[in-house]
Amino acid sequence: MRKSNKWATVLVLLILCSLFFPRLSFGYIDPGTGSYVIQLLIAAFVAISFGIKIFWKKIKIFLLKVFHKNKPAA
Amino acid sequence: MRTDFTDLPSSFRDPSGFLFFKNQVLYRQVNKAYQKNYEHLMASGLYQSLTEANLLIPHEECDLPPAYPETAYKILKPEPILFVSYPYEWCFSQLKDAALTTLKIQKIAIEYQMSLKDASAYNIQFYKGKPVLIDTLSFEIIENWKPWVAYRQFCQHFLGPLLLMSYKDYRLNQLLRLFIDGIPLDLTSKLLPRSTRFRPGIITHIHAHALSQKYFSSKTVQVKEKRISRNSLLGLIDSLESNLKKLTIHSKRSEWANYYQETNYSPQGFEHKKQILKEFLNRLNPSGVWDLGANTGIFSRLASEREIPTLSFDIDPVAVEINYQECVSKNENYILPLVLDLTNPSPGVGWENKERMSLVERGPTDVVFALALLHHLAISNNLPFEKIASFLRKICQSLVIEFVPKSDSQVQRLLVTREDIFSDYTQPFFEKEFSGYFTIQEVVPIKDSERVLYLMQASHESN
Repeated sequence: MRKSNKWATVLVLLILCSLFFPRLSFGYIDPGTGSYVIQLLIAAFVAISFGIKIFWKKIKIFLLKVFHKNKPAA
Repeated sequence: MRTDFTDLPSSFRDPSGFLFFKNQVLYRQVNKAYQKNYEHLMASGLYQSLTEANLLIPHEECDLPPAYPETAYKILKPEPILFVSYPYEWCFSQLKDAALTTLKIQKIAIEYQMSLKDASAYNIQFYKGKPVLIDTLSFEIIENWKPWVAYRQFCQHFLGPLLLMSYKDYRLNQLLRLFIDGIPLDLTSKLLPRSTRFRPGIITHIHAHALSQKYFSSKTVQVKEKRISRNSLLGLIDSLESNLKKLTIHSKRSEWANYYQETNYSPQGFEHKKQILKEFLNRLNPSGVWDLGANTGIFSRLASEREIPTLSFDIDPVAVEINYQECVSKNENYILPLVLDLTNPSPGVGWENKERMSLVERGPTDVVFALALLHHLAISNNLPFEKIASFLRKICQSLVIEFVPKSDSQVQRLLVTREDIFSDYTQPFFEKEFSGYFTIQEVVPIKDSERVLYLMQASHESN
């Protein structure tokens, strides 16, 4: 029971998430209802962090290009 | 169905198509139901992109009349995989590379508006030393951006087993032998140490995932269409990938540096042993070799250097790990290290015990090396010589076997803590028992050693 209490917050989020639950795809493997729900939850968080990651990556590439252009030829 | 076709017993789950043999050649039927997806795979450039990157097994379309014409769209002839291996036979890095390959394929597929509809570890095989996807029909067109249908399977087949190997014990991928669709996430969650409950990636992909599965297992949910963004899907793959990349097996690398370097040979004896093996190989000119008890694969490489498929088996996952690391660092294409306990080799598992083949079913091979192995089988496992010979006869045509006498320090070490009940463990008795199954062709004592190498040919009739 203690373990369940520890996960209470996660569970509440899962239940909230289930309200937006998608129609199951009829693929040949069972994606699992619980797996779909947790994936939606993760997806909501990672979309932002992934967006930021890509944004920084582009800035880094841009700066590297600028730095490389300004670098005098050896 | 035509009677000259044999369906592959493991190929029944996916309605997109199936594998079959005709005249011992493997073919894949693509069903009409999969036509649209197959056409997109080929026309979009995804197939070309993946095969050029050695991530997908190449195939050619052929005109073979189908076994089931009413459902058939095309017949493909994929490049053959010479030895099918299973995730419970892989070391940690092999499973990790297979997992990362799956994610890499998924990321490329998304660029071409397709997605993997399954993420089974059995769909990955080692081809020319590298993990590749062998199921050409694993892709589906992304119509709407939906959650990844194979996410659960990926966690059960790859992430969970790798976390258990990394955080608990590197032998735990053996659980995959029990659970054919991957280790259940609730079991992974229970087995992982408490410290993993403070790691966000493991909390979400395993602990909360398992809890979510449990919570929704008894619920009937009325659901409606819900999409996720492309970035969400890519973010999920990125999250799985970054969590996997961090994983290692906890062991002091320095301890591994000299792993299995200690042998019972003088440098002269060791070189002589290699020389004898090279001569045997020159004489046999085999098309394939299985090295049983290969340790880190020193002698296996005498075979793989000849550019023939060489399987390098050992019971110790750490030895296999070192062997595989060497394959990767030297970009070796012909050697495949695998974990195998010869006293309990991989059985046939799955539906009708036929979905995943036993070791014996995947043989025979041309040549078996059984070097410094006999005493482990005969003394540590009380196996009579006759039973060892009988088994080896089933899996090879030619046998290169080393006789290690009782006076050898390695045999004495095995006898230190137990009574010597092995009065039959003698060279004459070994020759007598093996002669029931093999014809002894050469007997060469190894210089500066008490050990003897035998070259034997399988008898046509055995006892």
